[in-house]
Amino acid sequence: MSAVIQPGRVPGKATAPVTASGTRLAVRRFRRNRLAVVGLGVVAFFFLFCFVGPLVYSTDQTHTLLDQVNLAPSGSHWLGTDAVGHDVLGRLMYGGKVSLIVGLAAGVLATVIGTLWGAVAGYAGGWIDAVMMRVVDAGIAIPALFILLVVSAITTPDLTGLIVILGFVSWLVPSRLIRAETLSLKNRDYVLTLRAIGGTHGRAIIRHILPNSVSTIIVAATFQIADAILLVAYVSYLGLGVQPPSTDWGGMLSAGLTAAYSGYWWLIIPPGLAIILVVWAFNAIGDGLRDAFDVRGRG
Amino acid sequence: MILTRTVNSRRWALAAGAATTAAVLLSGCSGGGTTSSGSGSSDSINYALPANFTPNWILPVGTAAHLNTNNSSISQSLWEPLIAYDGSTGKVGWNKDNSLATAADFAEDGKSVKITLGDRHWSDGEQITSRDVQFWFNLVKANKEDWASYSPGKAPDNWTALKIVDDTHFTITFDKAYNTQWMLANELSMIRPMPQHVWDKTSDAGKVSDLDLTPEGAKKVWTYLNTAAKKISGYATDPLWKTVSGPYTIKSFSTAGKVQLLANAKYDGGGKANIKTVNLLPFTTTDAEENALRAGTVDYGYINATNLSQEASFTAKGYTLKPWAGWAITYMPYNFNNPAMGPVFKQLYARQAIQMSVDQATLSKVIFNGTAVSTYGPVPQGQTSSFVSEAQKNNPYPFSTAKARKLLTDHGWTEQNGTMVCTDAGSGDDQCGAGVDKGTKFKMQVLSQSGSTVTDNLMSALQSSFAKSGIGFGIKTAPVNSVLSQAGQCKAGDSGCKWQLSFFGSAGSWYFPAYPSGDSLFATGGGSNFGSYSNPDVDKLVEKTTTDSSDAAMQKYSEALAKDLPVIWLPEPDYQVSVVRSGLGGFAQDSLANFHPAMWKWTKK
Repeated sequence: MSAVIQPGRVPGKATAPVTASGTRLAVRRFRRNRLAVVGLGVVAFFFLFCFVGPLVYSTDQTHTLLDQVNLAPSGSHWLGTDAVGHDVLGRLMYGGKVSLIVGLAAGVLATVIGTLWGAVAGYAGGWIDAVMMRVVDAGIAIPALFILLVVSAITTPDLTGLIVILGFVSWLVPSRLIRAETLSLKNRDYVLTLRAIGGTHGRAIIRHILPNSVSTIIVAATFQIADAILLVAYVSYLGLGVQPPSTDWGGMLSAGLTAAYSGYWWLIIPPGLAIILVVWAFNAIGDGLRDAFDVRGRG
Repeated sequence: MILTRTVNSRRWALAAGAATTAAVLLSGCSGGGTTSSGSGSSDSINYALPANFTPNWILPVGTAAHLNTNNSSISQSLWEPLIAYDGSTGKVGWNKDNSLATAADFAEDGKSVKITLGDRHWSDGEQITSRDVQFWFNLVKANKEDWASYSPGKAPDNWTALKIVDDTHFTITFDKAYNTQWMLANELSMIRPMPQHVWDKTSDAGKVSDLDLTPEGAKKVWTYLNTAAKKISGYATDPLWKTVSGPYTIKSFSTAGKVQLLANAKYDGGGKANIKTVNLLPFTTTDAEENALRAGTVDYGYINATNLSQEASFTAKGYTLKPWAGWAITYMPYNFNNPAMGPVFKQLYARQAIQMSVDQATLSKVIFNGTAVSTYGPVPQGQTSSFVSEAQKNNPYPFSTAKARKLLTDHGWTEQNGTMVCTDAGSGDDQCGAGVDKGTKFKMQVLSQSGSTVTDNLMSALQSSFAKSGIGFGIKTAPVNSVLSQAGQCKAGDSGCKWQLSFFGSAGSWYFPAYPSGDSLFATGGGSNFGSYSNPDVDKLVEKTTTDSSDAAMQKYSEALAKDLPVIWLPEPDYQVSVVRSGLGGFAQDSLANFHPAMWKWTKK
């Protein structure tokens, strides 16, 4: 059956199914977008910096060194030290790991939840769609930061908990996007044919709707990751993120701000810059992917 | 906002959004509330509450969960104490201007006191009488187990009776003779006359009568008042809270923590308010509060001790820095009943190893930027006092992680993967000790108050130091109200007994009354003996501090607890480094950590 109804062989009007040639076209178009390529480079750099960097530039991020606090950048500490003597460059790598892991995992989780929710709502239609989307509307009406603050006041989340919480407050926007995509796809001939020959709803969603929404899902995922990294920074800045001795860029920024008026710029600029660059990079990649997958611009 | 935008948003808008986010963060978006420059009027003042503290109680009697000097300061501005024994005049003593009593005459045998009330009135015009004192007395007597300040054997147990002589005179008798200064400063100062003619009922619509005269009735009234007091949103509107005796009334009281006090026009005491409106502003972090100071929206605030070097920048903005030293100690209580770590904490050698891992001198100098004083026992060491023993002064357990490790290895512990593990269980001298199972890891968990960078740094430094001794130290943070409510007395089987260590001392853990006796903190069953510490020998010494007026009694108590380590002793920081707008005067910073808004006065603005 799947051999007969190959999505790639069914002519579509607006969205081209993902095929080998489609992928090559998308890659070509992505490479033409310079900002997206720079963004990819920035993300790659920060992944190497955070995960490979500690192997090259080894520092002690567990013990405090109270005789070496707030030292300015020097040959022995390239980005100086913080208020308890941690090497800031090493801490930037250490904190970056947390920011990237939480951001990636929460972004992916949000996308998965949003995709499933949106696909089911869009495909089912009728009152099921209405109820599910009103849930989304209600969720969007409540600021995520408010929910995070309430949850953090009740419990002290660990890394996994933080990922789950961020994932569960961020899935609403992707669900809307996937629902819109599903509403279009569910009336395509190949989906209608599948239903006519007895294919189940589940099979229609899993084998046809979702694979043909993959471009939207990927684009949404990149934006979700960027948002999640910012959210982690938010909650950590407010002192409600990961617990010491762990840290992340938001936590570093928060701790560094205490010394903002003491001239210790190395406690503020590096984590602040890292957050801005990574968030911008993921957004640039997302924009590039959106353009790459957009059939209207293909040449 | 980032969360609600769609995929179609433009890339530069996103980058700008990220930059804006950083800018907003830098500006300290989590702060308090006003946007104008200071209070903007000589009739008002903006006072910054401690970071992450939200006022949540005004009733003059309450449970331990609401124990906080800031709650108490607000409450005392509404309902004046019988005897205000504080440091509001610059020296700890009886401030008669802010007291309802005008005299306290002790009997020659020291077994009773006759108290005289001033000619004072409630805000509804009714006279404040001995019956209002009796009302408080009866409620506390009948509900002593729930009263935050209760310590068995002490008030109200040792007050055998209150006898009304007339409307302005009454006598309280004691179970034995007491040190009269201790009785005045530490016990009688807790009495808070309450409007019996308004509060002696059991429901909003109920009729006021003499319910408090029976224990059953007093219990019902207590329950009613405490239930009403839990409804913070009703503080400004509930008629119950309109009848006050203090210099202020409540204008507004937000559940988010912002409080507005309005001068009580009917006040007839000696501590009349000088400023009509007092705005008490909450802040989630010290950084946010500092940003508000720099923006000029706070008249009386504070800065991190680490920022003392920035004095010139505040002076240039028209502020003066005034360190506020407290009559206090700072510590981390052990939960001796915690199922996992309680048996370990009960071993003196284990507590010694922990204390030896705390380098107070370096912590005071580096983490607190020189604004803390090493404190090795139960008596404050920040101010000269004849109560401190030589043992406490000289630190019986000097910092040495090497000695701490040896102490543990000499008692059946072996280091495995950086953490000590009990490998020789038993109660012998060289074994882990009674109740400590083989395989027990020496890993402790602290629930620490959030919102202070200095506290975060302190916890990181302690964690590092403990690790060198092979002691694990996990850190969790929560707002201080949450820490206080979770770190209560408990029994091993209780669900609320999971806490092992708690820290609520960013600005000092415990502020003493004039006499720093530890009856509430370290006596068996003491109302604020959070970790259930118990030592019969210490109980006797505590008892003696309350009956013997000599310094020797206090010194023996000081020595015993410096050696027995009922808690982890930590450096005592200044209560806060205050930043006060020039022109605000008329007050001294109370070393008992209360603030007294009625004394604040604008000399120019």
